[in-house]
Amino acid sequence: MVGTMPDVQPLVDEFITKLNRRQVEGSLDTAKLALVLLRQVISAQRIPPNSPANTLIEAIKSVGVRMIAANPIELAVGNIVRRVLHIIREEDASLATTVVTGVTTAVDSDDEDNLDIREQASSHAVAAANRSVLRAPSLHNLLESMPNPIRADVTVASTGDSDARSRSGDKNSRSWKLKHNVIESINELLVELQDYHSQVAEQALEHIHQNEVILTLGRSRTLLHFLLGAKKKRSFQVVVAEGSPRFQGHKLAKELTAEKLSTTLITDSAVFAMISRVNMVIVGAHAVMANGGVLAPVGLHMVALAARRHAVPFVVLTGLHKLCPLYPHNPYSLLNDMKSPSEVLDFGEFSDCLNGATGGPQCHVFNPTFDYIPPELVSLFITDTGGHNPSYVYRLVAEFYSPEDIVLQ
Amino acid sequence: MRRSPFLLFDPSLDNSSSRADSEEGGMAVNNVQTESSPFYDERMGLNSNLLTGPVTFEWLSQAEDARLNGSSDAFQPFLDKAAQSAEAAMNGDHASSRFSVINEFNIWRQKPELAEAVAAIKALTCVIRRSEATTMMGLEIELKKAAETLKMWDKTSISLSAGCDLFMRYVTRTSALEYEDISAGKSRLIERGEKFGEISLKARQTIANLGQEFVYDGSLILTHGYSRVVLALLKLAASQGKRFQVVCTEGRPDNTGLEMAKELMGAKIPMMLILDAGVANMMGQIDMVLLGAEGVVESGGVINHIGTYQTALVARSMNKPVYVAAESYKFARLFPLDQMDMSPTPRIVDLAVPAQEENIKIQTSERDYTPPQYLTLLFTDLGILTPSAVSDELIQLYL
Repeated sequence: MVGTMPDVQPLVDEFITKLNRRQVEGSLDTAKLALVLLRQVISAQRIPPNSPANTLIEAIKSVGVRMIAANPIELAVGNIVRRVLHIIREEDASLATTVVTGVTTAVDSDDEDNLDIREQASSHAVAAANRSVLRAPSLHNLLESMPNPIRADVTVASTGDSDARSRSGDKNSRSWKLKHNVIESINELLVELQDYHSQVAEQALEHIHQNEVILTLGRSRTLLHFLLGAKKKRSFQVVVAEGSPRFQGHKLAKELTAEKLSTTLITDSAVFAMISRVNMVIVGAHAVMANGGVLAPVGLHMVALAARRHAVPFVVLTGLHKLCPLYPHNPYSLLNDMKSPSEVLDFGEFSDCLNGATGGPQCHVFNPTFDYIPPELVSLFITDTGGHNPSYVYRLVAEFYSPEDIVLQ
Repeated sequence: MRRSPFLLFDPSLDNSSSRADSEEGGMAVNNVQTESSPFYDERMGLNSNLLTGPVTFEWLSQAEDARLNGSSDAFQPFLDKAAQSAEAAMNGDHASSRFSVINEFNIWRQKPELAEAVAAIKALTCVIRRSEATTMMGLEIELKKAAETLKMWDKTSISLSAGCDLFMRYVTRTSALEYEDISAGKSRLIERGEKFGEISLKARQTIANLGQEFVYDGSLILTHGYSRVVLALLKLAASQGKRFQVVCTEGRPDNTGLEMAKELMGAKIPMMLILDAGVANMMGQIDMVLLGAEGVVESGGVINHIGTYQTALVARSMNKPVYVAAESYKFARLFPLDQMDMSPTPRIVDLAVPAQEENIKIQTSERDYTPPQYLTLLFTDLGILTPSAVSDELIQLYL
């Protein structure tokens, strides 16, 4: 295990404490904070010349595991950690291929035909191997999967003829380059996260048409941006279910009215009565699982079922930072957060329900935060990279995460 | 039998009955025209001109095909005859070696740990080793012929034809892309063929690892028929200390479910045996259905031991998840639309029919097709896939 530099350690601890105390909320903010922190970890990490990528991966993993454990419900943390690991692997592989081609051109000038051909062949093989390392396993490479990495011994062989001094210089520049490239990609990812709301809102006009009635439950910032994006050119109605027990629907309704959108506020229990008049249900999500299932604020499963009953499209707005490569093995018990009972019952009433003699409660209050919506109830995901079908989510997962990172530790 | 334009195989019933008619009419068997199915012909044609490029190869292969079909004794539904004709075809090339790909395949198939597709690939590897071809193209043609004979031997076996196709695809790509030198190419192919047994075992391990996550404490799992992958998965889950129970069906007509039950007993996993007809009766208590597959088709549906379809249907109607564990070499380029699109098995299905009622009509299907909408997820060595991901993988391989 490689320790991180001392000056990052307090930052990591602070973030973990915040996660523990649930002081960071919302998957976008959490994702941004986690990403910035991981960037600091990488830039503070001293990289040894041999196996720079492994050092980085180990450092990220050790921090990542602690962050995930601090708030396992906030899946965005794990997603960002895995995303960064994937970035490191990707950059390392692309560096390895460029290094090898560099070596072959160097040998070219040596006028040794035999060696030249051999080197070229091996460089092709290595390039192919590196590509196949990154590629997810498929039928295509089932028969050609190479168990032993040739990459290592080729680099040893290729540096064998150059003198030791230039080799170490080369290595240092390579590990420096890796770090540089990784940080560059992380910055790109950060920009992506910052643009997420506007990217999703841009697509609103394609999905919301004139005079439509949109139903939603609770509040999500993405949803607000999306509706306001559509409002630029369309006039439509929004029906907002209040979303008890946190009643964030009230806040959304106020925000929408302030923007002069025609808004109707209903109770959660009136959703089924309203759904037959609605053209589309649009909601935000907490996380999207690898099978296309959605973790969303409590009450949405009911809305999804009502929408299905009346064949109303159920559209989920989500960003790629919410895309989780895990499967909900047992969604009802594993991925949920129980909130304080005081949101449901006032403390005054609550104390009346207590048994005076023993102090044990007679009335139980169950206040989960999330619902799991199975993939067959979702019609469409609208992400910052466009619309996707639930059955397509596995492809996104394969694109953005390396299979070896899915289980950390 | 209904004739659909999408028939996957020759309706062998039709063939054999027409053959019988002609024999009764006193016509010579040799007059029967060649009966390789248009579907396969088209598929082989499609495969050959993809990466190899030059027109000459196609021409050659067509010529070879014609020769093979001309020399061999047309299609024989019976296994021994097919073996003979395969041998005859092989001997047409080099009379010196008395080698039959079918015998080889049968030797490999006897090994209990080997799946049918692996045995097929092993047999094809032996063909390469014995081949005296001096060019990659010659080798390819020989292999193609061997693969065709293998497929002919048991037309109904999905995993057999999927294994042959996968290996042929690999051979085509290898010869077209990398190796100029025949001996290097040959040794590479042989090496990969030999390794395939390992690859398949590793695949089983991967699937077990991925799938055991879905088994949770206190769950009741229904399986149907015998599957090595499902068994590996359940054993792994049990070895990790998960407490669950398994319900096995009897698995008529060959009682494969009993076999599964015995294996589970051996592994000390609590299990219960039910009748095939008792699936719906049990389904209310079941938490998930876990199935193996003989073949996974392009739509993402599976072809498996008969009774799988009804199990999946019942599970869907009671909202229970249906998981299928299958190695990726079982992915086959077939697109059955319904149950009629699969040819009935040539094997005799043993129904308990009393002797005095022998002229009773019997339907002898041994496997059925489960459409993708009844499956929740597929556990494969390529990862956990939704049914729609299967066609994606197949398109990547064959396009």
